[in-house]
Amino acid sequence: MERSSSSGDRMSGGGGAPVPSAAGRPRVPDADWSVLMARSQDGDQLAYATLLKSVTPYVRALAARVGLTGDDGEDAVQDVLLTIHKIRHTYDPARPFGPWLAAVARRRLIDRTRHRSRRWRRETALTEAHETLAADEANYQEAAGEARRLRAAIAELPPGQRQAIEMLKLQEMSLKEASARTGQSETALKVAVHRAIRRLRSLLDGTR
Amino acid sequence: MTTTDDFIESLAGDLVPVRRLRPPPLRAALWVALAAVLVAVLVLMRGVRADFFDEIRDPAYWVQLAGAWLTGATAILAAFEVSLPDRSRAWLLLPAPSAVLWLYGFAYGCLGHWIAIPAGAPIAHDSVRCVETIMMAGIPMALGLWLMLRRVRPLRPSGTAFVAAVAVAAVADTAHLLIHVVEASLLVLLVNLAPVTIIIVLGSLLGRRGLRPV
Repeated sequence: MERSSSSGDRMSGGGGAPVPSAAGRPRVPDADWSVLMARSQDGDQLAYATLLKSVTPYVRALAARVGLTGDDGEDAVQDVLLTIHKIRHTYDPARPFGPWLAAVARRRLIDRTRHRSRRWRRETALTEAHETLAADEANYQEAAGEARRLRAAIAELPPGQRQAIEMLKLQEMSLKEASARTGQSETALKVAVHRAIRRLRSLLDGTR
Repeated sequence: MTTTDDFIESLAGDLVPVRRLRPPPLRAALWVALAAVLVAVLVLMRGVRADFFDEIRDPAYWVQLAGAWLTGATAILAAFEVSLPDRSRAWLLLPAPSAVLWLYGFAYGCLGHWIAIPAGAPIAHDSVRCVETIMMAGIPMALGLWLMLRRVRPLRPSGTAFVAAVAVAAVADTAHLLIHVVEASLLVLLVNLAPVTIIIVLGSLLGRRGLRPV
């Protein structure tokens, strides 16, 4: 699984959370998003975090509409947010933000649903029996404990380091792929992994 | 595992100011002006075609020349518009009317009046010079457009690459039409239509990946 588990701001939560209307356009004052995006383009991190949190329920609802829910849905939402991040310079603040966002989200979700149907055609899902019976190590309770400790330690890492470890070590992406996905340089990712491993070592040594 | 909230925090933490793209009509106007300068420089370097002052009295020549230039100009605008996420795909059709004029010029001049290659004509020499002109106009245009569109990171790379390639081919052909006399039908096909087609096909195929789509 890539990036998963949901955030707190579900559609039902939070006052004034935007939802897609029947026409597929978000029902929020578009001007607010436009202003936030314009400030984000100027480097305002707070405005950017506010904007991304504000659009997340809308993107999540669009993802659900095309059948992407649960972990798949969250991966899709994060993919859309990452795409917004990469092409934020293409937004023109003189135009409404809603259609720009809807076009980016729709494009990314279409790509994901296509990718998912291709994957379904060539893969069979593993059942619990496959995992517990086929591989010896899956039955070692001790190893399972180690894995739990490692997962807990990874969860304590700062976001940048955690993302680098997840992409490069857990998902075994290449530096190039991870760099393309995160928009960070390969050197920055290497440094993040190096620091993450050092931090994990100290965290795990501390819990022994 | 990264929650969406953590992910947002990491994106916001990495945020740096970005330079907004200028509106597509403005960028297109700049590029049309640059293309005009490029064509003018080539005409000055290589000289206008020998029969230019006879040809300007022929409406068929004007139709083809205007068709090529307008196709180039409208295709540049279409490429900049369609590379943005919130613009309609209908922009892809903008160069179509002028492309019809341009293609009509090819068909009229080449297939309507089939002219055989005259005996003893310096075909190889003329052909090389024609292709040279097309490359001298096409390569700087292609590189410039590629660099500008690459910065956009288009969500629709195929359509963007296609209209950008049409723009390059049309501007290059405008220079060719102003500089070279090619009367023989077979030569028109070989040194004019063939390079234009190759630019469009190759540009579409290479441009699609080269534009760094997201």
